[in-house]
Amino acid sequence: MTMPRNSEALIAELVGGLEPVKPLRFGAGMALALGSATVATLIVIARFGLRPDLAAGVVNPMHLVSTGLYLGLALAATVTVVVMSRPQVGSDHSGWRWAAGMAGLLPLAGVIVGLSRGGQAALAQGMDHGTDCFVIGGAASLLVFAMLVLWLRRGAPTAPDRAGLVAGVAAGAFGTFAFSLHCPDNDIVHIGIWHSTVVLAMAGLGRIMVPRLIRW
Amino acid sequence: MRADEASLARLMALSQHGDKQAYAALLEACQRWLRGYYSRRIAPSHLDDLVQETLIALHTKRASWDPSRPFLPWLAAIARYRWVDHLRRLYRADEHELREELIGTDDEPAVAARISLDRLLGLLPPAQERAIALVKIEGLSIAEASAATGQSEALVKVNIHRGLKKLAHMIEKE
Repeated sequence: MTMPRNSEALIAELVGGLEPVKPLRFGAGMALALGSATVATLIVIARFGLRPDLAAGVVNPMHLVSTGLYLGLALAATVTVVVMSRPQVGSDHSGWRWAAGMAGLLPLAGVIVGLSRGGQAALAQGMDHGTDCFVIGGAASLLVFAMLVLWLRRGAPTAPDRAGLVAGVAAGAFGTFAFSLHCPDNDIVHIGIWHSTVVLAMAGLGRIMVPRLIRW
Repeated sequence: MRADEASLARLMALSQHGDKQAYAALLEACQRWLRGYYSRRIAPSHLDDLVQETLIALHTKRASWDPSRPFLPWLAAIARYRWVDHLRRLYRADEHELREELIGTDDEPAVAARISLDRLLGLLPPAQERAIALVKIEGLSIAEASAATGQSEALVKVNIHRGLKKLAHMIEKE
């Protein structure tokens, strides 16, 4: 088969512009995300302090379980984002969904308990504190989000909208995890609603923003 | 040179280090491989464009291949992404080609069936697969596709739209 002239010219041009590149390793992507999550967590603790009980070496079961679920979701979603940045026919991108299903128990339980306590009035209680958690948790997720977006831009996600959604979930879950180390509230209604809202909001942001930022 | 997995992976690894000679050989081999990969899955008049767009994507995204992983499934993912994107752009431009004689190729691409375009298309429900194959690949008009399939014209359009959307989310599926 003969090559059309313009393909030859294109190949010559691409060869002329070849620069060495550093391949995107799985470990490097994970290290970038975990490193930025650690920095964000340390900043939150330095700025707002640890929960009093944690600082005193006491643990609360509700706090432990909910914080663990968000951390699990953050890790699973991060793995999926890094997998998505390195395309390959045969790759599976669904792992994070199981973790999301498990963490989804928190908002579900929050709503059920809130309704059982008397509906909207109970849900509206603690609105100010909830808004603080939402805003600071959201801010704490921005560093991880930025790093994941940078990583995805270097990579080649074949479904940029999904990659953006999962990057948002990862960043939001890390942000909520970080702020959970400060937030002293052990109420499932507060945790289920306000802490999960950070994850949902970041997922929406990622879904909308990331496809615009990925260049193929 | 032959476009087999081992040689392509070796050339790509050298290319990532900046070896221009290896890169020239790689691009030429990939160009031939892509022609086989896309053959009969794109209107012949679009083949050159699509192959070149894919080579550019390979170039731009060459860091996303990890030398510890196989090369062809990576290239196939890039190629499928470009292909679906190409079909979608055709749809938006609402440009329907006249049916052309499709070039028959004797040399079936030596590629595992699991990374092929047929495999990807086969993941769609049959009605969507058929609508896309007739209109987007063979270049029939909506009316002709409607007559050929017995689907109403509106249904052909809906099936194309839904099918392409689905394809865009299944690029890496086997």
